[in-house]
Amino acid sequence: MRIPIETTTLSNGLKVVVAPDTTAPVVTVGVYYKIGFRLEPQGRSGFAHLFEHMMFQGSAHAPKMQHIKLINSSGGTLNGSTHYDVTNYFESVPSNALERVLWLEADRMRALKVDDENLRNQRDVVKEEVRVSVLNQPYGGFPWLDLPPVAFRNWANAHNFYGDFADLDAASLADVQSFFKTYYAPNNAVLLILGDVKPEEGLALAKKYFGDIPAGAPPPFADPREPEQTEERRGEVEEKFGTLPAMAIGYTVPPRRTGEWYAMTLLDQALHGGRAGRTYRHLVVEEQVAVEVDGGIDDVFGYNGPTQMVTKILHKPEYSSEATLAEFDSVIRDVQENGVSQDELDQLKIKFRSDYYSTLEGGRGGMPRYGLMHLLACFSLFDNEPQLVNSILDGFLAVKREHIQAVAKKYLRNDKRAIVFRRPVGAIAKEAA
Amino acid sequence: MATRAAADMHISVPPLSPERQVRWPKRTRTRLANGLEVVLAESHTVPKFHGELFLRSGNAAATHRAPGLAEMTATVVRTGTVKRASRQIEEDLRRLGADLSSHAGADNSAIGFAGLSELAEPLLQLVNELARDAAFPEPEFERERRQKLEEVKLDRTQPGFLAGERLRKVLFGAHPYAQVAPTEQQVAAYKREDLISIYRDFYTPENALLLMVGDFDSTAMLESVEKVFGAWHGDKPVIPPSPEPGKPRGRRVHLVHVPGAVQTQILAGCHAITRKHPDWIKLGLTNSLYGGAFNSRLVMNIREDKGYTYSPRSSVNPLRQYGYFSVSAAVRNDVVAASLTEIFYELDKIRALPVPEPELADARNYVSGVFSLGLATQDGLLSQLATVALNELPEDYLESYREKVRALTADDLIATARKYLDSANMQIVLVGDRTQIEPQAALFGDLEVYDAHGKRLG
Repeated sequence: MRIPIETTTLSNGLKVVVAPDTTAPVVTVGVYYKIGFRLEPQGRSGFAHLFEHMMFQGSAHAPKMQHIKLINSSGGTLNGSTHYDVTNYFESVPSNALERVLWLEADRMRALKVDDENLRNQRDVVKEEVRVSVLNQPYGGFPWLDLPPVAFRNWANAHNFYGDFADLDAASLADVQSFFKTYYAPNNAVLLILGDVKPEEGLALAKKYFGDIPAGAPPPFADPREPEQTEERRGEVEEKFGTLPAMAIGYTVPPRRTGEWYAMTLLDQALHGGRAGRTYRHLVVEEQVAVEVDGGIDDVFGYNGPTQMVTKILHKPEYSSEATLAEFDSVIRDVQENGVSQDELDQLKIKFRSDYYSTLEGGRGGMPRYGLMHLLACFSLFDNEPQLVNSILDGFLAVKREHIQAVAKKYLRNDKRAIVFRRPVGAIAKEAA
Repeated sequence: MATRAAADMHISVPPLSPERQVRWPKRTRTRLANGLEVVLAESHTVPKFHGELFLRSGNAAATHRAPGLAEMTATVVRTGTVKRASRQIEEDLRRLGADLSSHAGADNSAIGFAGLSELAEPLLQLVNELARDAAFPEPEFERERRQKLEEVKLDRTQPGFLAGERLRKVLFGAHPYAQVAPTEQQVAAYKREDLISIYRDFYTPENALLLMVGDFDSTAMLESVEKVFGAWHGDKPVIPPSPEPGKPRGRRVHLVHVPGAVQTQILAGCHAITRKHPDWIKLGLTNSLYGGAFNSRLVMNIREDKGYTYSPRSSVNPLRQYGYFSVSAAVRNDVVAASLTEIFYELDKIRALPVPEPELADARNYVSGVFSLGLATQDGLLSQLATVALNELPEDYLESYREKVRALTADDLIATARKYLDSANMQIVLVGDRTQIEPQAALFGDLEVYDAHGKRLG
C-alpha cells in the first residue's frame, strides 16, 4: 500500500505534510516541535513536559481555556505529549473545523501568553500526574524512569524525565518564555494535516495561517551521545506497593536506519512480540519462572538519540533475581548461538508488516491516524524525508537470518547492558534478615 | 489593506465551514442457519481487517458457579485446541500477521482478532477452532491458574482497581455485578471441569455474534464465514435469574485503606440506566457537560482552576442489566474534602440551574463531533457496531445519533440531571491512607473503612 502525501517547507522554515484520506469527514492536525525531555535544560528536569502543559494555558488571541473550548465545541478532541526527542500537540475534528484548528495552532506558535498563576496551576496538575502514574502506582515508572539513570552516563539520557519536584518548583515564567523562544520556532517544527482535506487546500491553509510567523535562530542542541560502555551496569529501586519482584534488562540499540538497526528491530520481535516471543515462551510458559514478560524497543521510529531494547520481567517470589536472570540469559545465548530459523524469520516479517499497517491506520485516544501522523512527523524532523513512510518497510523485509544472529552477538552482550531490579519493600526486608 | 486583513485574520477565530456528510460504510447483517449472527462492514483504509466473536454471556452469568470463571475460561481457550498446541497457536497467529485476544467482561465473553486481509480465511479457521474445539490442556490450565493468582494479588495494589471494585460492591450488593474479580481463594479453587462446563454453555452459535470490519468484499467474506462457522452447533445457555442489586440511600463514604498512599483516588457513583433506555442519549450529553469532556465543568473547576488533580472525569457505565454514573479524580491528600466539595457543587448546580444555551450548543457539538471520529478507523467502527448489535439498538441508531443529540434542550438536560445525577445518594469511595484523610472523609457521610482485601476495619 502507498500513503499519498504532499509536502512543502514554508519560507520561515516550517515543514508541512498533508496526507489526504476521505474515509470519514474528519481531520487530524498535529504540530511537532523538535525538542523533548532528553535535551531539556540541566537543573530543570521535567521541564519539557511541564512546558507542554503550558502550551494549553493561553496564546496571544486565545486566552486560557479558549483553546480547549474551541476544539471541544467544534466537535473535536485534543491532546499533547512529550517524548524523548519531540513534543507534539494534536487535534482531531470534523473537517469543517480545519481552519479553526490551524488558527489555534498558529496562534500558539506565534506567541505564548501565560502568567505565574497558570504556571502554579499546571505545576500542581503535573505533580498529581506524576503521583497518579508513578509515585502512587505499583511499578510506577518501571522501567522507563528506573533504567535510564542506570544505563546512561550523559545527563541528557539519564535524568528524571518526569522531573524532580524541586526542579518543577524552581521552574519560572522566564524559563517558560525562554524555552518557547529557543525551541518553539517554525523552523524547528512540522505541521501535519491528515484526513478529509485536499492536498492543495491543506498546503494553502498552512501558508495562510503559519506563513508569516517569524523564523527563530537555529536552536542549540546538546550532544546526546554516550561514552563507550565497557561493563554491565546494575541498579536497584524499591517497590512500595507491588507484590512481585521485577527486573528490566536494557541493551543499547544500533543507530537508526542502519542495516543493524533493521535487524535489531526484527530480533526485538523474535524476543518479545507477544506470546510467540522467545522471552515470554521460555520464562512464562516453559520454565514458569515469570508472571509477565514483555518489552522491546519503545516507539521504534520516534526517537533520535541513544535508546534501548528493554525486557521487563515480573517474576514469582520463589525464584531469586539471579535464577530468573539466568533463564533470561539462556534465551539470549540461544539466539546468539543458533540464530533464528527461516520459518521464524518469515513469521516475524509478516507480523511486522501487519503491525506496520496498523500503525498507519490506527488512532490513539479516539484520534484517527495518530500513528501515521507520528511517523510522518519523526521522518520529517529527524530525516527530512517524510516519504520514508512509504519505503521504510523494505529495510525490515530485506533482513536475513545471518544479520539477526550478527546483531545478537554484537549488541546483546553483558558488558553492553544495564539491569535494574525493582524489589518489593517486603522482599528487601526479608533478604536483609 | 493587506496588512489589515492579515492582522484581523490573526485575532478572530475562523468560523466553521459547512459540515461534510458522513458516508456510511457498506454493512451486511445476517444470521446463519445455526443461529450465529453476523455483521460485516467494509472499511478499505489498510489491507487488514478487525473482528470480534462475542458470546453473550460473561462473568455475571458465571458468578453463581465462581466469580471470574468466564474470564478464566476465555484465558485458557487460547492455550490449546484438539488440533493445535499452545505454541502452535501462537506461531500460527504470527504466521498470519494476526493479533488475538480472548477475554470476558461482566456481560460477554469474546475472542477479538485482527489480521491481514490476504490471510483472512485461515485466521477465521483458527478463531472457529478456539470457539468450538478448545481442549483445556491440564498443564496449561494449571499454569494459567497460578498466573491468575499472582494477577489478582497485583490488582489489589492498584488504586484504580480498588476504587472500582469497592464501588461495584456498594452499588450492586447481592447482584453478580458486585464481583469484579475473584479472591485468591476463589482462584485457588477453580477446576478445569468448571471451565469446560462454562465453555460448553457459553460458546455456542445461538449465543454468538460475529462482527468484522475491514478491507474485504462483504459477499466473499460472508461465504468464508458460512464455510468456516456453518457446522458449529449449540443452543443458548440457560442463566439463572440474578438477585436484585441493593439501592443504597444517603451519601456514605467507603474508605479503602492503603498505607503509605501519597494521593487519594476518589470514585463516587450512583445507579443510572442502560444503553437501551430512552434517556441514554440525554444522559450522555449531561455527563459530557458535567465531567465527560476536557472542556467540562468538573475538569475546568478542579483541574484548570484549582489544580487539585490531573485527570478528573465523569462517566456513564452501561452494563447490560443496569447502568451507573460515576465521577473519578486522583487528588493530593490535603484536598480530598475540597475536591469532594467541588464535585458535589457541580452536581448540585447542574441539577438546579438550566444550562445556558451557548454552553449547551458547545456540548451538543462535542458529543456529535467525536462520534464521527470513531468512524475513521476499523477498530473504531467495530466498537460502534458492537454497541448497536450487543444492545439490540435500532438499525438506524448510528445514522440518527447526531440528529438526536442536536435536538436536546436545556429542559431535557435539567430533567435528566435531576433524575440520574443522584447527588443525595452518591456513594463515595476513597482509596488512600486513612491516617492522612479520615477526618476529611468523615465530613461527607457515614464512614466505613476497609483494607485492600475487603476486610472491614471500622
